[in-house]
Amino acid sequence: MSEPGGGPVISDFRAELHTWLDRHHDELAPRYAAPGTLDEQVAQMQRVKSILFDAGWMRFGWPEAAGGLGGSPLCRTELGASLAARDLADPGLFSLIEVLAPTLIDFAPPALTAEVVPLLLSGAEMWCQGFSEPGTGSDLAALNCRAVPNGDPATASSWVINGQKVWTSLAQYSDRCVLLTRTGSTESRHRGITAFFVDMDTPGITVAPIEMINGVREFAEVFFDDVVVPADRILGTVDGGWAVAMSILPFERSSCFWQRIAYLYRRLEQAVEIAPDTDRNAEIAGNALVHLHALRARSRATQHRLADGATLGAETSIDKVLVATAEHATYDAIRRLLPAAVAVDDDANGIMWRAEYLYSRAATIYGGTAEVQRNIIARRLLDLGPDD
Amino acid sequence: MDPAERALLESTVGDAIAAADATAIDAALTDLGWLEMLDAEPRAAIEIVFHALGATNGTASALDDVMVSALGIAPRADLAVLLPAFGTWDPPGHLDGDHAHADGIATARASVAREFVVVCTSGTDLYVVTVPQSSVDVVPVHGIDPDARFARVHVDTGAGVGVRLDPDAWEASLALGRRAVAQQISGATRSMLALARTHALERVQFGRAIVRFQAVRHRLAETLVAIEALDATLAAAADERTPLTAALAKATAGRTAQTVAAHCQQVLAGIGFTTDHPFHRFLKRTMLLEGLLGSSDDIAVAIGRQLLDARRVPTLIEL
Repeated sequence: MSEPGGGPVISDFRAELHTWLDRHHDELAPRYAAPGTLDEQVAQMQRVKSILFDAGWMRFGWPEAAGGLGGSPLCRTELGASLAARDLADPGLFSLIEVLAPTLIDFAPPALTAEVVPLLLSGAEMWCQGFSEPGTGSDLAALNCRAVPNGDPATASSWVINGQKVWTSLAQYSDRCVLLTRTGSTESRHRGITAFFVDMDTPGITVAPIEMINGVREFAEVFFDDVVVPADRILGTVDGGWAVAMSILPFERSSCFWQRIAYLYRRLEQAVEIAPDTDRNAEIAGNALVHLHALRARSRATQHRLADGATLGAETSIDKVLVATAEHATYDAIRRLLPAAVAVDDDANGIMWRAEYLYSRAATIYGGTAEVQRNIIARRLLDLGPDD
Repeated sequence: MDPAERALLESTVGDAIAAADATAIDAALTDLGWLEMLDAEPRAAIEIVFHALGATNGTASALDDVMVSALGIAPRADLAVLLPAFGTWDPPGHLDGDHAHADGIATARASVAREFVVVCTSGTDLYVVTVPQSSVDVVPVHGIDPDARFARVHVDTGAGVGVRLDPDAWEASLALGRRAVAQQISGATRSMLALARTHALERVQFGRAIVRFQAVRHRLAETLVAIEALDATLAAAADERTPLTAALAKATAGRTAQTVAAHCQQVLAGIGFTTDHPFHRFLKRTMLLEGLLGSSDDIAVAIGRQLLDARRVPTLIEL
C-alpha cells in the first residue's frame, strides 16, 4: 500500500482499511459477548493493536522516528473511528494513544521515543496519564505531586516524587505513566510543573482502582512514595511541563473526538435497530441525529484544520462543549428509546446500555468541565474581558 | 475564489444591502450581479448574500432565484416561485390534467412577478408549470414580521400540461432553498449575538458591567457554540450536497435560532423587550425563517422516520 497523505487520499485509505477490516473480521472480533469486563476489553484492545501493528495499519500517521510509517495524522483518526464504529476497540481506551504518544514524540529524547512508542502502538504495553489530583480537577495548574532533584536541578541524575494522582485511566494495567509534577513553588502555578515518563514498576508506586458510578474500575488513584526517577526521563524541560500538558490538547480535541463521534453514531444506530417503531421514537431519534451531525460537522472541520497545519487553540472549547452536549443527548435519546434496557434489563444488552448511559454523564466533567469551557469561550473567543 | 476576493465580496455585498432602502435590496443585488454570481459560484453566492441578508435583517427575494435555478430554470427578477405553505415542504401544487391547484407562500417577489413557477405533483410524477400573475391570488402576509413582505398565494387555474421534472428535482430545489434560509438564519444569529455582547459590555448593574457575571457570560458562550455548530452544518451541506445534509442544516438552524434568541433576549433584558432596540426585528425574522421550508421539529421527525424505517443511522460527511 502506498503511503497515504491528507486530502482526497484519506478516502482511499479509508476504503482500503475497510476492505481489510472486513476480510479480517473474525480474527479481530471480540472473543466475548458484549460488553465484556474491563479486563476483557483491555485485552481485546491490545490484541487488536498487535494485529493492526503487524499489518501496518497502526503505524500510518505516526512519524518514522517513533516506529511509524509517516503520512497524515488523519489516518490515525480514521483508524480509531473505524474500530469504534465496528466495536473492535473501546474508543475511550483506544484514544488514550492520542494523548500519550504525541507527548513522547514531541518532548522525549529521540532514543526513548524510538524505543517506547512502538511498544504502545503495538499493544505490547499500556500507558497512563497522571495529570489529575484530588485537589486538581479542571484547575490543572494547581497540581501538587512534588518532584525534588537529588542535588542541583540542572545536573541531578535522578528526582524523587511524592504525592497522589486520581482519575488515572487504566493505571492498574499500565507499564508507564506520563506524569505531571510540581517542581516550583505552589504559587508558581503553570510555570513550576515538570513532566516525567515513569515506569509503573518503580518501587514506591501504589495503584488503587476506583469503582465508577457504572460499576467499572477504569480509573485509579496512584500514590507516589519516594519514587526515584532518572533525570533522563524528564519530558521537555524542568519547569516546562505545562507545555507538555497543553501539547496534548490538539489531539484530545480532534482525533479523540472523531473516534468518540463514530462510537456515538454506532450506539444510536444500535438503539434505532431495536427501538419500537413509533412517531415518538422517530422524533427522539431524529433529534439525536441533528445533535450528532452538528458535532460531526464541526469536528470534521477541526480535523482538517489540524491536518492542514493549523495550530488548534481556544476555539476547540467549542468542539468540547459540542461533544459533551451530544454525548448527553445521544444517551438521553437511547434511554428514552430503550427505557427498560437502561433501567431494569439484566441481559447483556441491559448491562451494556446501563453502564454506558451512566458513563456518558462524565462527558461534561472530564477534560475541563462544561463550565470551564464556557469560561474559555467567553474570555478568549468572545473577548468579554475578565470575569472577576 | 481566494480568501481576499471572498472577503472583499462579503463586505461589498454587506455594505450594499445595508445601504439600500428596505424595498430596494433586490435592485441592489441585481446591480451587484447576483444572478451571475449564482450561476458561476452558487456556493459562495448563497453563503455571502444570505448571510448578509440575515445579518442586516434585509428583505429580498433572492430565495426565488435559488430555488428556480435548482429546478433547471433560468432565474429572472420577474419570475417568482411558489413556496410550500408555512411549516411544510412538499411540492405546493397539484396538477389535475391541465389544471393546477396550489396553496403556498411567496417572498416579496410576489408583488412584482409577472409569472409564478409552481412545482406540482400528479400521481407519482412531478411537473412544473409557469402561470401568469393574473391567474394567481396573492394576499400579503402581515403576521409576526410584516417587513418580510411574504404573501399567501392561491392557484386554481388552467396551466397547460406543464413540464415533467426529474423525480429528484424538487428535493434538489428544496435542499438548496433550505441551505439559503439556514444561512440567512446564521447571519441573523450573529447579529443577535453582537447586540447582546455589546449590551453586556456596556450595561452596568450592581456597580459592574453585567458581562462580569458568569451567568451572563455562559449564555453568550452557549450562543456562540450554537452558531458555530450551525455554520459547520452549513459547510457540510455545501461540501456534501444531499437532501439530508441540507435538511440537517435547516433543522440545526431553527434550533440555533431558538437558542440564540432565548439567551440574547435574556441578556438584553428590558431594552430587548422594546421596539427601540433592533433585537426584536431579528427575533421576528428568525421566527418566520424557522418555519419556512420546514421547522426543526418537523424535519427532525421526518429524519427520525427515515432512520426507523431503514433501521440504520447514516454517518454522512466522512473526513
